Amino acid sequence: MQFTKDSFYMALLERLVSLNPLQTVTLDGTTRPAIIVAENELVISAKPVSDAFYIEWGAAQMVQRQAGDRGLMQMECVISYHTFGTVQSGVDRGRALAALDMELLSICEPPRTSKRDYTQSPSADLGTSILWTTPILSKVTGSEAARNEGLPRGNEGVRLERSASLKVFFFPEVSFL
Amino acid sequence: MSTSPLRAAMVPVTRQIRAYFAPINRVTGTPSIFDPGKYGAFLLDAPPAPWLDLGWIDNFQRLCTTLTEPLRAGLQGAPSVQFRGSIDARIEFDFREWGKLQMALACGSEHMNVLASDPNANAQPSGGTPLAAIAVLPGSTSSEIVLGVGAVSAFSVGDVVAVDADYQQQTGYVGTGIAAAYVSDPADVNRDANYVRRVTFNLGRVAQETTTSLLLAQPLLGGAPPAGASVQKVVAFVDRDGGSFFQEWSALFVWQEESGGRVCFHYPRLSPTTAIELSMPLSPTAQPRAVKAFQREEGVEIAKPISSLALHAAFQAMLHVDENDGQTVVCYRSYFPAAKAAVY
Repeated sequence: MQFTKDSFYMALLERLVSLNPLQTVTLDGTTRPAIIVAENELVISAKPVSDAFYIEWGAAQMVQRQAGDRGLMQMECVISYHTFGTVQSGVDRGRALAALDMELLSICEPPRTSKRDYTQSPSADLGTSILWTTPILSKVTGSEAARNEGLPRGNEGVRLERSASLKVFFFPEVSFL
Repeated sequence: MSTSPLRAAMVPVTRQIRAYFAPINRVTGTPSIFDPGKYGAFLLDAPPAPWLDLGWIDNFQRLCTTLTEPLRAGLQGAPSVQFRGSIDARIEFDFREWGKLQMALACGSEHMNVLASDPNANAQPSGGTPLAAIAVLPGSTSSEIVLGVGAVSAFSVGDVVAVDADYQQQTGYVGTGIAAAYVSDPADVNRDANYVRRVTFNLGRVAQETTTSLLLAQPLLGGAPPAGASVQKVVAFVDRDGGSFFQEWSALFVWQEESGGRVCFHYPRLSPTTAIELSMPLSPTAQPRAVKAFQREEGVEIAKPISSLALHAAFQAMLHVDENDGQTVVCYRSYFPAAKAAVY
């Protein structure tokens, strides 16, 4: 299962670097592509950085009618991101969020990658691929601003946030030969 | 459901299937061949020539009604050998994209280009008397149509154009590169000089203009314009229920591999069909027992009342003789095992 997580992350990271090499964040003094696996980071109270994709893994189970000792599995994945826009006034925060939406959809295509063992260098091809569904983009939520009762969605906040959910399918790690 | 261990690399996992077609030389009956040894792992966005990408398709079904019949022997009448009866295979699917080729294949008969009409011409359901054609000059290619200074202004960027020869009162198949129709008698087509351009597959959309040329967004399907070709603007496509002509094409369908190996189906010769017999007669003289009505278009609901339209298509697989062993077959299924997959 860890190979699936690693392969998914590496696929999206490489695609993000190719698509927009300037999309970086600085964490712990290190500048890196703006895609982060939350469970791999230091446990600190700092808030997530803006304009970056945070990957979080959820429940996993066998796929119906594909089950078996080594059948196909699925695992839930949530990718969240937020922005304050690119200017001090924040008036382009909606556009900045839309750009992040498009970046995420772009790096999720094609919706597959080979499963590799990244615990060794160079990584080793494990013989199958992982695949995933098209991300479902949740509603936009806004925060860090006074709620305007005249706007029912409440997403006029200075900080605009969205999460995307998808399912990743994979064959669990086994020796299949 | 089995709970036995699966050998994962041997399980083809797929999401969608893509259709590619290639023309058959109708004069010689020569199909286009997909050689899995040469082209098997091609990029789905870049099929090898002469295969044309017709996009993702839905509801793909391969229907085989070839009967195997046992020959019985002995007091108990037990099967001793068996043989194959009449070979019969069909396919059905929905084209999700509409275009010249998709419409022509789904309809199955002549597919008409509606040429821009003379405003004073009599109305005709497949297009009336068109505006005069403009001669194509030497030096034209499948992507650049040379018309000369001034003549280019008859067209605009974004126009669809038909580029082919005038009808010369010949009989037989017409259309440059791809047989688009069959003319038995010039009188049938009113000896119309524009007839070939009414049916040709040699179409393109004007992407740019120079002072002397039209530059096309996609190359002409039938290749460079023939000598004496002319060009006319196309405003729509029309197909018809009826007609005597049958399209016949080679086809290739590829299940895109998500994990595991790639599966392809190659039909050297496909001919469009409509009604599908739900139960085939057991002998050639028996009557068909049931027929499923053929729905030409399928609505794919987006959100009521919005839906997209898919073109429903069905084909009869026609025979092909495999030169390697002389066997008569109608379809090839090829499988490209994934790396590291067990052989069996």
